[in-house]
Amino acid sequence: MSEDAPARIGFKATLVVIAVGAFAFTMGFYILPSNGAGATDTIWQRMCRAAGFTRTSPGSASALASPVFTSVIVPKDLYVGGTAEQIGHGATLALRCAVCHGAQGVSGGDAPDLAAQHPEVIYKELLDYQRGARTGGVMNAMAASLSADNIVDLADYYASLPPENAVLMSMNAPALVRVGDPMRNIAPCGSCHGTVDHKKGAPSLNGQPYTYLNAQLRAFASGVRRNDANADMRSVARGLSDADTVLVAKYYAGTPR
Amino acid sequence: MSAVIKARHLILAHFWSAFVVFFAAILLGEWQMVVRSPMHAWVDLPEHYYRAVTGHGTAMAYVFPTLVAMGFGYSIVELALKQALIGLRWAWFAFGLLAVGALMAVATVAAGGASVLYTFYPPLVGSPFYYIGVVMVVVGSWIWVGLMAVNLHAWRKANPGLPVPLAMYAATAGALLWAWTAVGAALEILLQILPVALGFKDRIDAGLARVLFSWTLHAIVYFWLFPTYIAYYVIVPRAIGGRLYSDVMARLAFVLFLVFSMPIGVHHLFMDPEVGAGFKYVHSVFTGMVAIPTLLTVFTICASVEIAARLRGGHGLVGWLRALPWNNPVMLAVTFSFVMLGLGGAGGLINMSYPLDSTIHNTQWVTGHFHLIFAGAIVIMYFIIAYDLWPHLTGGALRNFTMIRLQLWLWFIGTLVMTLPWHVAGLLGMPRRMAYFDYSNPTIAPEAWTVTAAALGGAMMVASVVLFLWVLYRAQRGRRMVLTAYRFSVPVHPVLVVPAPLNGFAVWVALMVGLTIANYGVPIFHLLSLKTSVPAVFSRE
Repeated sequence: MSEDAPARIGFKATLVVIAVGAFAFTMGFYILPSNGAGATDTIWQRMCRAAGFTRTSPGSASALASPVFTSVIVPKDLYVGGTAEQIGHGATLALRCAVCHGAQGVSGGDAPDLAAQHPEVIYKELLDYQRGARTGGVMNAMAASLSADNIVDLADYYASLPPENAVLMSMNAPALVRVGDPMRNIAPCGSCHGTVDHKKGAPSLNGQPYTYLNAQLRAFASGVRRNDANADMRSVARGLSDADTVLVAKYYAGTPR
Repeated sequence: MSAVIKARHLILAHFWSAFVVFFAAILLGEWQMVVRSPMHAWVDLPEHYYRAVTGHGTAMAYVFPTLVAMGFGYSIVELALKQALIGLRWAWFAFGLLAVGALMAVATVAAGGASVLYTFYPPLVGSPFYYIGVVMVVVGSWIWVGLMAVNLHAWRKANPGLPVPLAMYAATAGALLWAWTAVGAALEILLQILPVALGFKDRIDAGLARVLFSWTLHAIVYFWLFPTYIAYYVIVPRAIGGRLYSDVMARLAFVLFLVFSMPIGVHHLFMDPEVGAGFKYVHSVFTGMVAIPTLLTVFTICASVEIAARLRGGHGLVGWLRALPWNNPVMLAVTFSFVMLGLGGAGGLINMSYPLDSTIHNTQWVTGHFHLIFAGAIVIMYFIIAYDLWPHLTGGALRNFTMIRLQLWLWFIGTLVMTLPWHVAGLLGMPRRMAYFDYSNPTIAPEAWTVTAAALGGAMMVASVVLFLWVLYRAQRGRRMVLTAYRFSVPVHPVLVVPAPLNGFAVWVALMVGLTIANYGVPIFHLLSLKTSVPAVFSRE
């Protein structure tokens, strides 16, 4: 071994590590984010998105930022299903909701369908509206007066309404729904929201009105809606192009509940 | 020096506790496989299943390998540095801390106070005694890290300019890796979970907690792997009558583990939207870099084995394989270990590839992968470490080699029978961490055989451990033997000079810390800046 070998091994190894790092960071933060959606973004915006930062729409997020974070613990009993009494009480309360969400929880308009929705989803959204973690239309006012028991009963009632025939996922579903797009940090929609799998807390999207889905994805993307813990949905929605947003919203709107 | 290790009581305390914990934990694992197989009715309370999973994981991930690494490390101080262990009292104190912590954690889990799985999963929060127990185990192991450094320093002062013996160099690298990798989980417990468990807070940032845990979660596997790799390099070539092909290559492999095993943990979070795609890609690339020290090791050990075969008269391109001492348990074990490392590593390529991972994420594939690597490739060499050191620790001879061979075969076949069907189940979409399956459901019925196979493989592994403990016990109680001095492998070329960076750790520790900051700094800062938190959910009976 030559005299200067000792210094060179450490130096060369450091160079290799720096080169690998430079390659990985260039690919991960410049080259790969430049492909696909968001091609109109500036380089800085692409890098921020690759780093996981979701808040880049000028002005929107800070202006509309809600100081209240989502903070919901779903009671265990909710997963068991309500008693006949609770469901009956929920049905009575739901008369107030029927104007927009339909007599049987199927809106027929742009408001989301609530029939057969997972109970924990209705529970969480009502609490978020009540506490201001989610803002939108009349819902904050509608939720304001509900007691904790009212919210449980409404969740039990809507969950008890029958779904349409459940379908298995078709291979014609968009790739974003079936397999997602890892390079844009988009997990498959279907692995949380059905029909591949369901993750507790994620709403079922099948058959929801197109206008509603489209608006919510855009609200997440711009940061107007922010009642998702750790900005999970904001992160996913920001990676979607206009065409993607329309595609997945149409797919879920056209899938039977 | 005498042939029997001076600190033998300390080391035997580590090894026996490790193996008793191991036995208890493997029984829990086998119970889980049986109750969720079609051979058994559904587990009455799923809570019991998750309690068993938490106990199994805590014992297998934090207690068992840590005790083996510590005991092996102390042995190496005496055998490689040829000096009495400095800080024997501190070592006993660390052992006591670890033992009390482990008992406290496991008792809390057994009592139903913390069915949170060993990966903690905030916002799930259990009894503070569980986390304090785990912290005590980690603090105990950090004392060991300090002792390894102190002993190496003392040796260096007494032997200025000499190359540090390979075994000690590697064991210290493992200790340094552990010191740094445990910081992530320690931060998670101390700053996030314990304040909630103790009742000072009721909210927790689950996303940040997951990122901090990923800091520990992958490098901890390399901490488990270190004793195995050390055994490959310093025990195997000597035990089969060969020479170590290259001392420098060995050192390089160990320091590369130090550098590359840290900045890669985000590959456990590929499906977590709160971490950016850029960092997922970067961590994926660095995960690929960890293959380099493994491939260096496979090459060096295969070359060393070939040297042994040729020294025994083997010849030809592959004909030398016949000349290997296949009756020698060490030869058998290293072969099994490599086969399982190869299969497990191939499966791991799927896990570490950002786009491919989504296919098998959170399925039984992942369980299959890490059992194949840990239970298979790693633990089978822990057996060899114990067998190899046992005469020098106890003065008793291992005489029944047939039983040892049977033990290794059972472990090898058992691991494959358990883990390969799990991979199949994962590809079929079977989720992990399920307490029971409805096998009467026609879509799930085709997966039933994989769980039965896992229970069968697990039973073979239990039998193997019973044999292992029996062999160790018999040797300790059996006839005394006349011992010659313990020897580590000798390299082909005598080690006269070692390049300075490969005789110390400064460059490698700097790279390890630097890469951690580069690869974790922004994700941690980002989640801190989001300031989101969710209400804690308590897991208590």
